[in-house]
Amino acid sequence: MKEITIEEWAQKVKENDRRAAAKLISAIERKEKIARDVLKHLFVPVGKSIVLGVTGSPGAGKSSLVSCLIGNYRKRGRTVGVIAVDPSSPFTGGAFLGDRLRMQVHGRDKGVYIRSMASRGYLGGLARGVVDAIRVMEAMGYDVVIVETVGTGQDEVDVARLVQTCILVLTPTMGDDIQAMKAGIMEIAQIAVLNKADMPGKEKALLDLEVAMRMRHIEEGGWSIPLVATVATTGEGIDEVVNQVDKHQAHMRKGDGLKRFAFQRAEKESSVLIKDEIERVIFDHIRGTGLRRKYLERMVAGEIDPYTAVEEVMSLFIKKSTKNV
Amino acid sequence: MKKATEKAVPVAQEKDVDWDKYLAAYYEKPKSSLTWSGLDVQEVYTPQDLPPEKYKEIGDPGDYPFTRGIHRNMFRGRYWTRREVIGMGSPQDTHDRSKVLVDEGGSGLNTIADIPYEMGLDADHPWAQHEVGLTGVCITNMYDMETMTANIPLDKVSWSLITASAVAPVTMAQYVAVARKRGYDLKKLRGTIQNDPVHFRYCGFRPASPLDLSIKMGADVIEYCTKEIPQWYYTTVNLYDLREQGVTAPQEVALGFLIARLYIDEMIRRGYKVDDFAQRFAFYVSCHIDIFEEVSKIRAARRIWAKLMREHYGAQKVSSQQFRFAVHTAGCSLPPQQPLNNIVRIAYQALAAVLGGVQSLHCCSYDEPICLPTESGHTQALRTQQILAYETGVTNVSDPLGGSYYVENLTNKLEEEIYKVMAEVEEVGGMYEAIRTEWLDRVFEKEALTRQKEIDDRDKILVGVNMFNTEQETTTPLGVQRIDRDSVKRQIEMVKKLKKERNQTLWKEKILALRAAAERRENVIPYMIEATEAGGTTGEMMGAVRLAFGHSYDPMEIIEAPF
Amino acid sequence: MSKAKAKESKDRKIKVVVSKVGLDGHDRGAKVVSSLLKEAGMEVVYLGMYQMPEDIISAAIDEDADVIGPSFLSGEHLVYTPLIVEEMKKAGLDDVLLVVGGVVPPEDIPFLKEMGVDEVFSAGSLTETFVAYIRNNVRQ
Repeated sequence: MKEITIEEWAQKVKENDRRAAAKLISAIERKEKIARDVLKHLFVPVGKSIVLGVTGSPGAGKSSLVSCLIGNYRKRGRTVGVIAVDPSSPFTGGAFLGDRLRMQVHGRDKGVYIRSMASRGYLGGLARGVVDAIRVMEAMGYDVVIVETVGTGQDEVDVARLVQTCILVLTPTMGDDIQAMKAGIMEIAQIAVLNKADMPGKEKALLDLEVAMRMRHIEEGGWSIPLVATVATTGEGIDEVVNQVDKHQAHMRKGDGLKRFAFQRAEKESSVLIKDEIERVIFDHIRGTGLRRKYLERMVAGEIDPYTAVEEVMSLFIKKSTKNV
Repeated sequence: MKKATEKAVPVAQEKDVDWDKYLAAYYEKPKSSLTWSGLDVQEVYTPQDLPPEKYKEIGDPGDYPFTRGIHRNMFRGRYWTRREVIGMGSPQDTHDRSKVLVDEGGSGLNTIADIPYEMGLDADHPWAQHEVGLTGVCITNMYDMETMTANIPLDKVSWSLITASAVAPVTMAQYVAVARKRGYDLKKLRGTIQNDPVHFRYCGFRPASPLDLSIKMGADVIEYCTKEIPQWYYTTVNLYDLREQGVTAPQEVALGFLIARLYIDEMIRRGYKVDDFAQRFAFYVSCHIDIFEEVSKIRAARRIWAKLMREHYGAQKVSSQQFRFAVHTAGCSLPPQQPLNNIVRIAYQALAAVLGGVQSLHCCSYDEPICLPTESGHTQALRTQQILAYETGVTNVSDPLGGSYYVENLTNKLEEEIYKVMAEVEEVGGMYEAIRTEWLDRVFEKEALTRQKEIDDRDKILVGVNMFNTEQETTTPLGVQRIDRDSVKRQIEMVKKLKKERNQTLWKEKILALRAAAERRENVIPYMIEATEAGGTTGEMMGAVRLAFGHSYDPMEIIEAPF
Repeated sequence: MSKAKAKESKDRKIKVVVSKVGLDGHDRGAKVVSSLLKEAGMEVVYLGMYQMPEDIISAAIDEDADVIGPSFLSGEHLVYTPLIVEEMKKAGLDDVLLVVGGVVPPEDIPFLKEMGVDEVFSAGSLTETFVAYIRNNVRQ
């Protein structure tokens, strides 16, 4: 792409220029400052698009389910953006972004935009990157934005909290894992899906889940989590999932629900942003000063304890930064 | 004679030799003493390594459990069949190459179809146009089959039709329709059809081979041939293609046998006894580069198959207990780098096949990792077989390695390892479940990656690839095979013409009858014969059956049914 | 548009789209290469089988790929590579590396390169070779 201004770039994204959007998401992934500048021009009101999360263990069939959801929404005349997150290898930093493989049947459909993202394993960064990518897809004008993540780790839980409707995907073969995930269901999911419902153990798994659901305390007028059995390989149960999403959306948008959601999201987002920003500013300031190394050496030599070291750095830094302001 | 002094010795230009490297090479010893499949072997084997109770299981060639071979006189009775796989371009192109190889002394015909055909697509399918005839022969209807087999006496030759996918019944129907048209008695036809749709899911043909349809179509061919063409080998369970995925020798046999059992179990479910059909089961086996391991693998496979058939399935007939097999030398062992080296690799692999008591052999051509075999490549591969058969003396004695402490011990070890893999599959719920849950896909992925790393890390040496890889080719020694795109284009036009000019009423009636039969879960082949005679094409016949089983008409989901 | 300082870092990863092309489903090589590139620290989007040139290019655009890696078995490289190059030109992907893998006769390599292919790695290539090539030649 040729050199363009920030405004032009943002405009292209709004006009559904896929390449401009793809480049923007890359800049977001690389944490380039320019990405923020473009994003400033892309604010859309919360709730313009339906933002879905699909989460669950590896092998639960999430990608196949997402592929079915894409097909179903397309039949209903809605456009779909997908962000498929796969874990980066902690050893090599590489990633096999295999989710797209299962969704590639929709690759030719101009009403579908699929973007794979690697988790890249840095603290807090994933949630922020994904939220920004959601914003890009909202700005591109997709009716539905689906985020697929592996449901493990704090990063992923953060992502699940930032979507409007989160679908947790379980399978009958998970057995004891279902017990362990009960807490997680209450924590993050608005819809529970038992995928691979053509496998043995379906009945027991459904029963286990229903018991877990019933034990959950529901506020007056609150949302009770529906349980849907699906077979993503045949498309069985998908219609019902989409209907439940619509129900949850209606529920959420009732009264001031959407406003409350927007508030929660803003709260979460800003706290993540502030944390990131503080970290960045501190490291930017001490980089190249040799300060970090000096403290580390003193710690190793037993001259100072880590708590005092951090306090000293912070006090130094805060003074310095105040002065700068 | 020239005097030695006439030419000055060019001392100044002499290349410096790295003498340390020379010294290292002089003292060098093998880095590993594992077999290709990673089995640990001893420095030497003695009578202690061959316990007497195991000796009973060896027996003599021709005796149960056939460890030493299925015939006592082996190659003294008849040489193995020398077949080279052929398939390229139009039916005429393939016919012409077949004639060349028969002229050169080939003793069996062996044709392979192109990718669109195996996928169940006609040549005029929008996705097929670029690939018609590219990697095999294009057959869209019985007239193509007629062209390919023209002037070849079908009651004299043994024809091997390599249709592996769920399209196998179509191939059978097209061949039978041609044989009937030319007035042959079906009882006299001899040949082989690969017909192993389940395994073909792993060779890139999954859309054409849904699991339910794979088992149904496989069993339909077995059932039809049992009744109508009794001399036909109606299934060649393909262990070879599994090995090409990168698995080990024990995995090759274990996984292949378990796939074979899916068809056997389906035939039993249909009410047949194992002795009604098992005597015409055959196998397609790989021969890789580790000679002794490959020979031992074959011997172990024969023993396991005999026991399985007699003890588990209660087969009474000796022929039902015999493991008959063709060998295809390992294509995946051949690199494109320094391709002439492949002639040597292939020769060793062919030797292993013959020492293992093979019934039919295909030698790869040295240029296979570069292009489809050229005519000179094909002829050279046939010559490799002929040198082995006529010059080396390996045909004199049955199972010449029988009784070797090492080979007998390794045979026992392979047998154990094969049973271990079978037990692993049992643990995930048997072969059907292993396929359905994609457990098998993960096995193949893992093994293929391991094989590449062994080469990258030089745990396995591949001469010309990770050692002695100084030369970099810019040309292929005897040229490259190209497909005549014009003959392929004519092929596409012919299909379009056929579809326009056939008797539409009759065609539709026969295609709908086929679909109805498939819906009633009847054997589809008799209906396919009538449909092909009425101008029905490969894609249409497959589509009719697919629809009856609740699948899309077109495996690629691009076109709609024309009926 | 901004340029990253380094080709690879914690935040800057090389992204490769690997794909089979057309009807040929011999995907063993493509899958193995995908795994090996991942182990070399790259981010790999594997498209799988039965992809047509326009599918591959559209995925490469959406994913903002640095490298496109089609894998061929026998002869299809001569049919599909020109179509891939054409699609890339149409989409303006002139800074994306096109690296062809699989069974390709050495005779065809100059022809493919002239057409616009950056490099060809035939079967039997060692991982270290193609990883190094990508690292050294990928856009900044």
